[in-house]
Amino acid sequence: MNETRQEQDLRTGKADSPYVIEMRNITKVFPGIVANDHITLQLRRGEIHALLGENGAGKSTLMSVLFGLYQPEEGEIYKDGEKVTIRDPNDANALGIGMVHQHFKLVDVFTVLDNIILGVEPNTLGFLNKKAARERILALSESYGLNVDPDALVEDITVGMQQRTEILKMLYRENEILIFDEPTAVLTPQEITELIGIIRGLAAEGKSILFISHKLNEIMEVADRCTVLRKGKYIGTVNIADTTKEELSNMMVGRNVKFTVDKAPAEPKETVLEINNLTVRSRIHKKNAVSNVSLSVRAGEIVCIAGIDGNGQSEFVGALSGLEKAEPGSSVLLCGEDVTKKSIRYKNTHGMSHIPEDRHKHGLVLDYSLEENLVLQRYFEADFQKNGFIRFDAVRAYADRLIGEYDVRSGQGPVTVARSMSGGNQQKAIIAREMDREHKLLIAVQPTRGLDVGAIESIHRRIVASRDAGAAVLLISLELDEVMNLSDRILVMYEGEITGEFDPKTVTMQELGLFMAGAKRQDKEASEK
Amino acid sequence: MNGPQKTDKRVPLLKKSGARSVFASLVSILGGILVGFIVLLLLAVFAEDIPFSEAFSGILIVLGGPLSAGSAKDVLFQLGNMLFQATPLIMTGLSVALAFKTGLFNIGAPGQYLMGATGALIVSLSLPTDVIPSWIVWILALLAGTLLGMIWGAIPGFFKARFNVNEVIVCIMTNWIAANLVSWIFQASGDRFINYAETKVSFIRKTASNGVATATLGLDKLLGNSYMDISIFLAAGIAVVLYIVINKTTFGYELKACGYNKNASKYAGMNEKRNIVLAMALSGALAACGAALWCLNGAQDFIWNTYLSLPADGFNGIPAALLASNNPIGVIFSAIFLKYISVGGSNLAAQTSFNEYVSPLIVAVIIYFSGFSKLIKDLLSKERIKKAEAAPAAPLPDPDPKEPPAPAAADASAEAEEKTEKGGNAL
Repeated sequence: MNETRQEQDLRTGKADSPYVIEMRNITKVFPGIVANDHITLQLRRGEIHALLGENGAGKSTLMSVLFGLYQPEEGEIYKDGEKVTIRDPNDANALGIGMVHQHFKLVDVFTVLDNIILGVEPNTLGFLNKKAARERILALSESYGLNVDPDALVEDITVGMQQRTEILKMLYRENEILIFDEPTAVLTPQEITELIGIIRGLAAEGKSILFISHKLNEIMEVADRCTVLRKGKYIGTVNIADTTKEELSNMMVGRNVKFTVDKAPAEPKETVLEINNLTVRSRIHKKNAVSNVSLSVRAGEIVCIAGIDGNGQSEFVGALSGLEKAEPGSSVLLCGEDVTKKSIRYKNTHGMSHIPEDRHKHGLVLDYSLEENLVLQRYFEADFQKNGFIRFDAVRAYADRLIGEYDVRSGQGPVTVARSMSGGNQQKAIIAREMDREHKLLIAVQPTRGLDVGAIESIHRRIVASRDAGAAVLLISLELDEVMNLSDRILVMYEGEITGEFDPKTVTMQELGLFMAGAKRQDKEASEK
Repeated sequence: MNGPQKTDKRVPLLKKSGARSVFASLVSILGGILVGFIVLLLLAVFAEDIPFSEAFSGILIVLGGPLSAGSAKDVLFQLGNMLFQATPLIMTGLSVALAFKTGLFNIGAPGQYLMGATGALIVSLSLPTDVIPSWIVWILALLAGTLLGMIWGAIPGFFKARFNVNEVIVCIMTNWIAANLVSWIFQASGDRFINYAETKVSFIRKTASNGVATATLGLDKLLGNSYMDISIFLAAGIAVVLYIVINKTTFGYELKACGYNKNASKYAGMNEKRNIVLAMALSGALAACGAALWCLNGAQDFIWNTYLSLPADGFNGIPAALLASNNPIGVIFSAIFLKYISVGGSNLAAQTSFNEYVSPLIVAVIIYFSGFSKLIKDLLSKERIKKAEAAPAAPLPDPDPKEPPAPAAADASAEAEEKTEKGGNAL
């Protein structure tokens, strides 16, 4: 390492650093784990630099160090060749570092304008002066092609527009280094294309961009260079022009990953789930969230409901599982039996497994240990209790088996508090629990949300295995890749209605995208075209 | 001994977090004592009639509890009374702790307490002890009081489950409804229950007048002819049973699951509405049982015109539960401690120039600080993490962990949010 010379140069002011940000040998240790192990990251001015790694590889930790949320045990950060200390996000902001978090930090009931100026409100003697701010924001949004309505309430605008608001927040603060934490996770294909255009434009204007992602396609499309982390270690930095998707995934996972799911053609058998005229009233507005949906899923097939988030999928699944009430006239038949009005427990014990959309809200009791979570629907069964007393030894043995079979990793094994586990492993625990229960129907809602390719691959294999074992699988997904890869039949849900049915072998992603966005719909009788 | 949510993991963790809870409680108690001492000092400085030295002797008297009573006989007497007075506080502490475990704030313990006392008094004073053996009347009275409290506690539970009305609001209303209802019942009953015989018209007759009294096994004689009886052992027994129910049974598993995450419990097929009602009913039963035990001692004067004020032991169940981190076993000790300090407080008024209002103030400061135990516990765990960070990384069970656990993986900002959320749940 010629770092010492470089450092000397820096101190004597000889070197004009080519890097706008340089993180050197960053080490961050958490109890039981080295999250960042001597990681170096060099960001050139005006480049789009991707940071790639699996869940838990240390990407977020590294960015949190840069943004001042964590203090590293070792290592230095240089801005334009000068050593800096970043104690908190205010320091980061002062250095021109801005971040768009995965979950936006916006005040829902404020307007876009208010959100952008929040914290740096222009004022005269304490009185807000929004006029100047508005002009600046409009100018900014025009020059960068960020289409927002400054007077709209954040809660009323689309996710894409919320994200643009976040970007404007950074630009308004004249940040030079923009960090995007998994920015595409919440967007539709069309919005992703738009975002990539925006990011390119920002880079062309001289902004330096750090782009955190585990989606290889996006990185290949947008980034100039890519730094790969694995298990907290620095693996390497490559020029995107000189690499391939396969090489990147190899670096990230440490082995070859298949991007397509191996599955035999479906052999659908008897109908397991039959839904007739399912209607669910919306909790928010007066419209029905789901209206008159009829469909059926047969044993041995994977039926996928594709759609953009918020088009009634959550309410639809809620009505199936029993978390939401269906309107009169709806009927849900499980193996020929009408279960519309049956309790959740009845459905759970009569062949319905459900991987919920929100693992923190529904999937887990976060303050319970892993083993307690693994028996969440089974603690009352004879295997796990005797005369009302929980058989902790049986629970432990069961948990140990599932942890081994499904490779659920955690700090302290079965007694780990679920809250302290990584998102991927929380999801694995839920999947282990739902898959292991005897089921005729598996409802999987966004089963791979926020997971990395390695974990996605294993979950997809499990779902196919479940199908091959004779279960009917109803998959609800927002990821088109997943929809195309996994399903035997695709239904598109738009504004609470099924607007089209497709064969994944013949339909294109673009076509699906148009249906998902509501630009096209098949008639109930025959297709439009 | 504290932190039952950790206890059920039955691992070394238990020791760590349990010890942390106890330590946190001790630190908050010490903090309270320190501030109490400062108050005494300030009073001594500013009040002309209080010599400076009395601040020092004063705090020692408070800390001595019944031990600072003076003669050996007085010490025994105060000790016996302290243990007897701790009984209802243990029960209301358990009541509040159980509700907390289920994610509910039972601030209705005073009302449930009043209903329990009323039920026990009416039954124990009405049933003829010349026909029915008095020990049977005692049991019936205890059951009647408990049952009445159970119904009273179920009311806010029902409103919460059925109409999603915040239980705190309904609890406060049921408190005052109980207070007025009880006054009205006894006033209407006239000399049937009110103690006209001894011309103590503010009080209900002692149950001993009907021959109903808790067995003492000679403990009252042993402890300086105090009110001591066996009820504190019953309360401690109930605490142990509650501990087992919460930590070892499917019922406890469900209650806690509902408390931690209502949505996930519903998703898992638990009847979270039934659990809310059950938890509140049981909480009410516990508080009422404490009141019944107090009344059935036989020699207690129950003030019946309760519409003026709610029983303090009902509210003090809250600090008793907090100080014990909602651990039922811990509640036994925290309740006894709170009574210990208040006995010390009365001795302070009796033996020094500090007036009678100072001692409740000191006690209140200490109770107030007991609410910080959760905060201190959180601080301690942060301290522990820092130490662990300094130490070399502990080996993971898996020789080749693909995915590191915990903070490394979690989205940093989301994690920070969760932390604040947890902190916000301090109550």
